[in-house]
Amino acid sequence: MKRILENRLGIWASFKLMGATLNNNPERIAFILHRITGIILVGFIFAHIVSTNSLARNGWESWVAVEVEHLRGINPISIAFFIAIGAAVYHGLNGIRLLLVEALALWIGKPERPKPPYVAPSLKGFQRKAIYAVFVLSIIIWAAIGYVMFFW
Amino acid sequence: MPVDLKAVTRRPPEVVKVRVKRFHPEKGQGWWQTYEIKTYRGMTVLDALLKIKAEVDHTLVFRYSCRMGVCGSCGVVVNGEPRLSCQTQISEKATPERPEVVVEPLYNFPVLRDLTTDFTEFFEKHRKVRPYLIRLDKQERENPALEYEQRPEELEAFYEYTLCISCGLCDAACPVYASNPRFLGPQALAYAYRYLADSRDEGWRLRLEELERDGSVYRCHFAASCSSVCPKVVDPAGAIQRLRRALLAYNLRLFKKRTAKNVEPMKVSAERWPLPPEARLMEGVDLEAQEKGAPVIPKEKLLED
Repeated sequence: MKRILENRLGIWASFKLMGATLNNNPERIAFILHRITGIILVGFIFAHIVSTNSLARNGWESWVAVEVEHLRGINPISIAFFIAIGAAVYHGLNGIRLLLVEALALWIGKPERPKPPYVAPSLKGFQRKAIYAVFVLSIIIWAAIGYVMFFW
Repeated sequence: MPVDLKAVTRRPPEVVKVRVKRFHPEKGQGWWQTYEIKTYRGMTVLDALLKIKAEVDHTLVFRYSCRMGVCGSCGVVVNGEPRLSCQTQISEKATPERPEVVVEPLYNFPVLRDLTTDFTEFFEKHRKVRPYLIRLDKQERENPALEYEQRPEELEAFYEYTLCISCGLCDAACPVYASNPRFLGPQALAYAYRYLADSRDEGWRLRLEELERDGSVYRCHFAASCSSVCPKVVDPAGAIQRLRRALLAYNLRLFKKRTAKNVEPMKVSAERWPLPPEARLMEGVDLEAQEKGAPVIPKEKLLED
């Protein structure tokens, strides 16, 4: 019989869209996307090692020829590659923001006395603008790469 | 705390469904229960729970005390967001299209019964960061005769973090606290920074070395949900980043801190400041006589019953 109910959300909390229910918290959405893109990148690295290893036995040139064949046009491999590139772009840009915020405590404002409208200083510092910049920049770069990959 | 300040002026839907996640420790089972209650303008979630307990189901268990957002004991999850139930208007969460409020016990805390959660682990972690001033002078600590010297800007550096009421909402919102039981949590780390930034505290070496050994500071990934849900705008997310910068500086042997000295108490001067010329006393008032004893109120000015 359970005397106490363990209510810990566990790893699910990293993916639960609490960002949508929590007010004024795009940092949470950025965090969830950072986790998801990180997992995609780990998967991509394994796939990349496997693909390059098995094909490189026939020599560099044949491998490049096969890769170019795979990435031309819209097919499952090129779409997966496109998703991995998007993940890398977002993960990299957001990683730079996080490095500055977490290691050097930049862009999080100064401690201040609470005053209306009662928003914490770290939520209205420059890092908030940096989040939107990261979102917009990664979409633009991703779209540009997609245009070059599929329609150039 | 991004509270919808105009919610109190709106009228909530006439009848609201309150869905409560319940748990009975003796039966060892949890279930969802729905209550329908009539609302009024200005009704909070805590008012709704109290109304349910008084009129519908007296077995519902929840914790509350001050009903005004000061004690921090009524924390629950309302519609997926950790909130103080006394500070959450029904009209903020229930709309005419969806007249429903979902109330759950705080995430990441063991549930004792219904909405009551166990804070033992929370306060053990709070205690781990030594939430008190450490002074090296033992004699002065045991028998204080002097005062600490502190400048206003030194107070501003940590004043924000002293407002914490230990309600546990930040820990309920934190994704790292949810998945890592060894993580100290935003509340404890904010308190660690509060004492590190306090100029009266001399235990910074001890604190920083313990935090370095514990490693909790490096587990934070700045989801900033703690700062977003904090009802007192304490900003634990900012405190953890500053703590991390302090640890980086300490490991590079660059950390510096000015600690307050013990000084003699300020002497109160008995000299009276003269009144400004525009402030004239009423006729017949003897200020010095007034200050010596209790003020005498003329009988004709007393209100009759």
